Amino acid sequence: MTLTFDEVLKRPKRDGSDKAIAELKSILGDRASTKPADLFSYSHDYWLITFHWLLKGKVPALPDAVVFPESEEDVVAAVRVAHEHGVPIYPYGGGSGVLGAAVPEYGGIVIDLKCLRDLRLYDDDLMVEAGAGVNGYYIEEYLNRKGYTLGHFPQSLYPSTVGGWVATKAIGQFSTKYGGIEDMVLGLRAAIPPGKLIELKPHPRTATGPDLRKFFVGSEGIFGIVTKVWLKVRPYPEERYLLSFASESLEDALDSVRRILRRGARPAVVRIYDRVETKRHFYKFEEMYGKIGTVMIVEGDSRLAKAEKETVEEEFRGTPTGEEPVRHWLETRFNVKEISEFAPVGVVIDTIEVAVNWNGAMNLYENVIRAMKSVKGTLMASAHASHFYDQGVCFYFTFAGVPPKGRSAEEFYNEVWDAAMRATLESGGTISHHHGIGRHRKRWLPEELGDAYEVLRKIKLAIDEKDVMNPGNMVV
Amino acid sequence: MPGKWDWLKDEIGLSNLLTGGRMLFKVIQGKLSVDDLTKCALCPNMCRHACPVSIVEGRETTSPAGKARVALMIREGRLKLDPDNLEPLYTCLGCDLCTLYCPFEFSVADFIRPVKEEAVSKGVVFEEFREVFENLETSGDVYGKADSGADGSGIVLYFRGCTVRNERPELAEKTVEFLRKLGYDVFTVKETCCGLPAYNLGNTELFKKTARKAADKLNATGAELIVTSCPSCAYTFRVLYPKYGIKLKPQVLHITELIGEVITGLKLSSEGTVTYHNPCKLAIHLGEKELLRSLLESVEGLEIREPRRELFCCGHGGSALSRLKPELAEEIAAERREQLKDGATRVVTACPSCELALNGDGLEVVDIVEFLLEMMKK
Ligand SMILES: Cc1cc2nc3c(=O)[nH]c(=O)nc-3n(C[C@H](O)[C@H](O)[C@H](O)COP(=O)(O)OP(=O)(O)OC[C@H]3O[C@@H](n4cnc5c(N)ncnc54)[C@H](O)[C@@H]3O)c2cc1C
Ligand code: SF4
Ligand code: SF4
Repeated sequence: MTLTFDEVLKRPKRDGSDKAIAELKSILGDRASTKPADLFSYSHDYWLITFHWLLKGKVPALPDAVVFPESEEDVVAAVRVAHEHGVPIYPYGGGSGVLGAAVPEYGGIVIDLKCLRDLRLYDDDLMVEAGAGVNGYYIEEYLNRKGYTLGHFPQSLYPSTVGGWVATKAIGQFSTKYGGIEDMVLGLRAAIPPGKLIELKPHPRTATGPDLRKFFVGSEGIFGIVTKVWLKVRPYPEERYLLSFASESLEDALDSVRRILRRGARPAVVRIYDRVETKRHFYKFEEMYGKIGTVMIVEGDSRLAKAEKETVEEEFRGTPTGEEPVRHWLETRFNVKEISEFAPVGVVIDTIEVAVNWNGAMNLYENVIRAMKSVKGTLMASAHASHFYDQGVCFYFTFAGVPPKGRSAEEFYNEVWDAAMRATLESGGTISHHHGIGRHRKRWLPEELGDAYEVLRKIKLAIDEKDVMNPGNMVV
Repeated sequence: MPGKWDWLKDEIGLSNLLTGGRMLFKVIQGKLSVDDLTKCALCPNMCRHACPVSIVEGRETTSPAGKARVALMIREGRLKLDPDNLEPLYTCLGCDLCTLYCPFEFSVADFIRPVKEEAVSKGVVFEEFREVFENLETSGDVYGKADSGADGSGIVLYFRGCTVRNERPELAEKTVEFLRKLGYDVFTVKETCCGLPAYNLGNTELFKKTARKAADKLNATGAELIVTSCPSCAYTFRVLYPKYGIKLKPQVLHITELIGEVITGLKLSSEGTVTYHNPCKLAIHLGEKELLRSLLESVEGLEIREPRRELFCCGHGGSALSRLKPELAEEIAAERREQLKDGATRVVTACPSCELALNGDGLEVVDIVEFLLEMMKK
C-alpha cells in the first residue's frame, strides 16, 4: 500500500471516479476538492506505522477527492453518488483513529464530517443532540457551561469527533463511572447506501427488535455514515475526591478494584500502572517509585461520592499517597509527544489495548508483555489498566523498539503486534478494548469472531451491496 | 529524586541501549533533536480544539498539524510552492491559541513563516496580499490612505494605528479625551503602519522597511511613552521590533496596560451585566491574560459573566484570512458571537479589529476606553 506521493497522484483513477467527482462538484461546489494538499491531508489517519512511511516520502493511499458536507442532505447525496458510480467513500472525523480505519485504501472519496456541528441540549431529558462532526472538547465545554458533563474523556478529546467516537466505540478516561460511548448513545441518524437517511430515535429504552443503534456503534464507517447522535449527559459533578495508592504488586491493586466494584462503588477514573509505567509517569513521587501506582477520581453527587470514596479507602490494598499524583496525572494526561519525538529517529512505538475477565487478568498481562519482549528489536514493553468492569479489566500496553538489522520498521511493527495479538487470544482476552479494528487489526478478527465473522461480512454486504462504504476496512 | 528517563534506562539496560537503543538514548540525552516542523507534522492535532479555523472550517488541511504537514511537504519539495498549496498555510489567524495547548509550546504561525517568506521572495503572492504590500509601500497605510493628520509633540504619544484611523476615527477622538481626563497631555503624529500586516503575510523584508520608517518617525518625536489602541501595534513595537533589531526609544503600552496602572484610583461604578472578548494579541502575545477582566472587576456594581470560552479569535487576526477567505473569517466571528452570548449580549473588548469583527447580530461590542469614558462622564 505504500507508494510515493507522486506515484499515487499519477495513478489512474477508478472507473466512475471522474463522473462521481463531477457530480459531487455540481452539488457541493467548492466543498468538493481535488487539490493535491487536500488529497495528501486525507491520505492517513493516526495509524502509527504510516508516519514512518510518511517520513520516507510514502503515503498509505490518496483519495481522488475530498468532500466537506455542511448538511445531512449533502452526506446523503455523497453516499448516493458513491453508490451509483461504485466509487469508494470513506468517512473522516478527526483522523485520530490509530488503526488506519480512515485511510482511503482504494482511492475514491473521503468525506470529512467536521462541518456537521449543530448542538442542542435537552435539559429535562438529560440528553444532547450533536452533529457527527462536533469536536470532543467543544461538546464538553458547551455542556459544562450549562451545568452538565458527557463524562467522555478519551485522551484524543481534543482532536476527535462525536461521530468518530460512535464509529470506533471509543471510551474515555472516566469510563468506570460513565461507561463507554455505547452507554451514552440514545439514538442516531445515519446515511446508508444507496443514499438514504435512517433515524433511530432517542428513546429511554426501546424493545423494537435487535438494537440497531448498537449496530452502528463500532461500525467504523463500513455500513454508513453517522450524521447525528443523541447522547446521555449527567449533571456536572458536585464533589470530586482525588485518591492514589502505592501497592506492592499488580495483583494487589487489581484485586482491590475488583472488590470495590463488587461492592457497587463506581470511581470515575481508575488507573493502575505496572512498575515500569509507575516509574515513567510518577518519578517525582518517591513513595510510588518502584511500586505499583494507582490514581483514582471519585465524583458525583456529594453524598454518593463520599460513600464511594469510603468504600475505596476500606478496600484498597496499598499505601495511600495523597492527591498530588492524581493532580499530576490530570495536568499531564493530554501531553502526547512520543511519536513526534521518537518516530523521526527510527524508533517504533505503539499502544495495544485489550480486555480480559478478572480470572485471566494477571496471566494475560504477563503473557502479552513476555510475547512483545520476545520480538527481536523490542526495547521496552509495559502496561496500565485503565477501564474496569464488574467482570474484568482493560490493559493498555505500550511497546517501543528499533527494527533489527535487515528488518523494516513495518516488519518489526507487525511482528510485535502479532505476538501481542496471539498472546491475547491464547490468554482468553479480546483483541481490542476500544481502538477498534481498522485496516491494521483486521487480520486477527476472523480468529476472534470465529463463525460470527461471516455474519458480520454478510450484514455489511447486505447494507452495502457494492462495497463502497470504507472498503477494505475491518472485514475483507 | 529519580530523573525523567531513569525508568527507560532501568528497563532497557545499558547494553541494549548501546546496541539497539542508541538512537533512543541520544534523544533522551538531548543529543539528537527533531526539528519543530516535523514534530508538529507527526502530532495528532492535540490543539485542534483550540484553533478557531479548525473548529469552524474543520478541514484537516488547515488544522494545526495539517498545516505543518503541508509545509513539510513543500519544504521537502514533494508539494509545489504554488498558491493552491500555500492557501492552507495562510488559512491561519496567527492567534497562537494552538500554543496554549501544545505540549511543545509550538507556534504554528511561526514555523510555517519560512515557507511564506520563500513564497514571497519567489513572487508567489496572492493578489489580495499584493494590494497590501503596494499600499504599505506607497502610502505607509494598510488601507492605502496616507494619514492626513498633523505632527504634534510632547511626552505621551497616542498611536492610533491603521484600523482606528480608517475604520474607527471616533475611537481615536474618545481615546484622546479619555487620556486627557486621566491627566496625560497626549499628542498624535502623522503615522505610518507598524508593519505587522507585511510580517503576517510573509513579506519580512517589507516589514523591516516599514518598521524602520515608523521607528524613525516615532523616535524623532522625542516622546517617552507610546500608548496604542490596537494590541497588535503594541506587540509589534515591543516584541517584533527588538527581534528584528529595530530600535524604538519610547516605552510602549497598550491602552489597557496604562489603565491597569490607574484604574483603582478612578473609583468607577456601573450597573448591568457585561462579558468580555479578550483579544489574542493582548492575552497571548503581550501575556496579559487577566488584564481586561481585572479592569472590569474594578468597576463597582458591574456584573461580569465569562464567555463560554475564554480565548477564541474574532476571525480577523493575522492579516491573511480575512483577505483570502472573508466568508470563513465571518463564520469564525459568528461562532465567537455565540460563545460570547453565553456570557452576555454587552461585550467589552480592547482591540478595534475585534470590535469591528464582532459587533452586531444581537451583540453590542464596545472598546474598553469607550466603556470607561461613558462611566467617567456620568
Ligand atoms: C493521542 C490519542 C489518544 C487516544 N485516546 C483514546 C482513548 O482514550 N479512548 C479511545 O477510545 N480512543 C482513543 N484514541 C483513538 C481515537 O481517538 C478514537 O478512536 C476516536 O474515537 C476516533 O475519532 P475520530 O473523530 O478521530 O475518528 P477518525 O479517526 O476520523 O475515524 C475513525 C473511524 O471511524 C469512521 N468514522 C469517523 N466518523 C464517522 C461517522 N460520522 N460515521 C461513520 N464512520 C465514521 C472512520 O471512517 C474510521 O473508520 C486515541 C487516539 C490518539 C491519537
Ligand atoms: S495560530 Fe490560530 S489559526 Fe493558526 S493554527 Fe494556531 S490556533 Fe489555528
Ligand atoms: S502545535 Fe503542538 S499540539 Fe498543535 S498540532 Fe503542532 S505539535 Fe500538536
